[in-house]
Amino acid sequence: MKSDDQDFEQHIKRLLADPSYRDHPLYIALACLWQQHREQLTRLERITSLSDAYQALARTRELSLSERFDKQVRQLEKVVRISDRYQEMMRDLNLALKEASTHDPLTGLANRRLLLDRLKEETERYTRNGHTFVLAMLDVDYFKQVNDKHGHDVGDKVLQAIARTMQAELREYDVCGRWGGEEFLFLLPETSLPAALAVIARVHQGIRELAVRNGDAAITVTCSIGVAEHRADESFADTLNRADAALLDAKRDGRDRMHSE
Amino acid sequence: MSNLSIPGSQSTPTIEAGWDSGVLSMHGDSYPENSFELFGKVIRWVEQFLSATTLPFRLELHLLYLNTSSIKALMDILDLLEDAHHAGREVSVNWYYDQGNERVAQVAEEFKEDFSFAFSIIGKAR
Repeated sequence: MKSDDQDFEQHIKRLLADPSYRDHPLYIALACLWQQHREQLTRLERITSLSDAYQALARTRELSLSERFDKQVRQLEKVVRISDRYQEMMRDLNLALKEASTHDPLTGLANRRLLLDRLKEETERYTRNGHTFVLAMLDVDYFKQVNDKHGHDVGDKVLQAIARTMQAELREYDVCGRWGGEEFLFLLPETSLPAALAVIARVHQGIRELAVRNGDAAITVTCSIGVAEHRADESFADTLNRADAALLDAKRDGRDRMHSE
Repeated sequence: MSNLSIPGSQSTPTIEAGWDSGVLSMHGDSYPENSFELFGKVIRWVEQFLSATTLPFRLELHLLYLNTSSIKALMDILDLLEDAHHAGREVSVNWYYDQGNERVAQVAEEFKEDFSFAFSIIGKAR
């Protein structure tokens, strides 16, 4: 309180305390006014203190809310980061599973499942636009002897080398996969029989020229191939059967040759 | 107080908690349909254990895949441990992973970040 106010208050108090003013006509009026002034002052102080307390409360609440908010945000960011990590893991795992389910682990070539998918696709393409395709079934001649003589490890190496040769000699859009054991299937899309035979002859020759080293020995192999072009009104299973039959003919004719239906 | 034993399934981890041992363990994958229901029980157990006893607490994790709500629940548990640690309680986490799966260790490292209590990431030979 300012000292002027204090002096004024003291002055009023003195006037009211002085008995000589008791009978003054303004005494009662001044006493009432003074009383009212005191009450208003008290009320004002109460309101001020309530308002201060409320503000302090709101401030504390705001601080703790903002602290909690910051904590939640930090936690959320961390959860999101970790969740992204898990999703990356799942995605990579998916890719690996897809690769494993569609490829042969030994040669890295398409497996039978992927070959069948591609056969279905090519048959549908043929139905839509009449673009034909050619299938070739390849079987390594006397492969059992390689295994028996040199062991399965070496046999596996020979299969891997054959797979590399096939991939090198085939065109980029040709599909080649391991059908089973030492049997491989080629799918040559949008290709006529003469064009396909030229490509397959290259593969045949490439395999003939292969030499897989095992110590001092160089292992060479030949293969027999049956070729069939997909025909109208035929399922891919029929085409496969004709390629198989041609392969059997090639074997019967003395191996190391290709036959087409 | 009671122990906690929740059998695992294909999508939920096996959860065991011992009141006397002070060990909570979780094994397996976690992508439950209702994580809040599953982990709500676990979080309540941890809260009760930390407030009703003064025993050391250890969390043993053998977790592989966690969906987002499971990550959040685990983070809530770890936050409880951090608070308890600041209050002077002895708490620790052992996260076990298969050495053939290094990426689980990387995720565990991400969880560990920012926490100041003992948090070990332990590789097991297959």
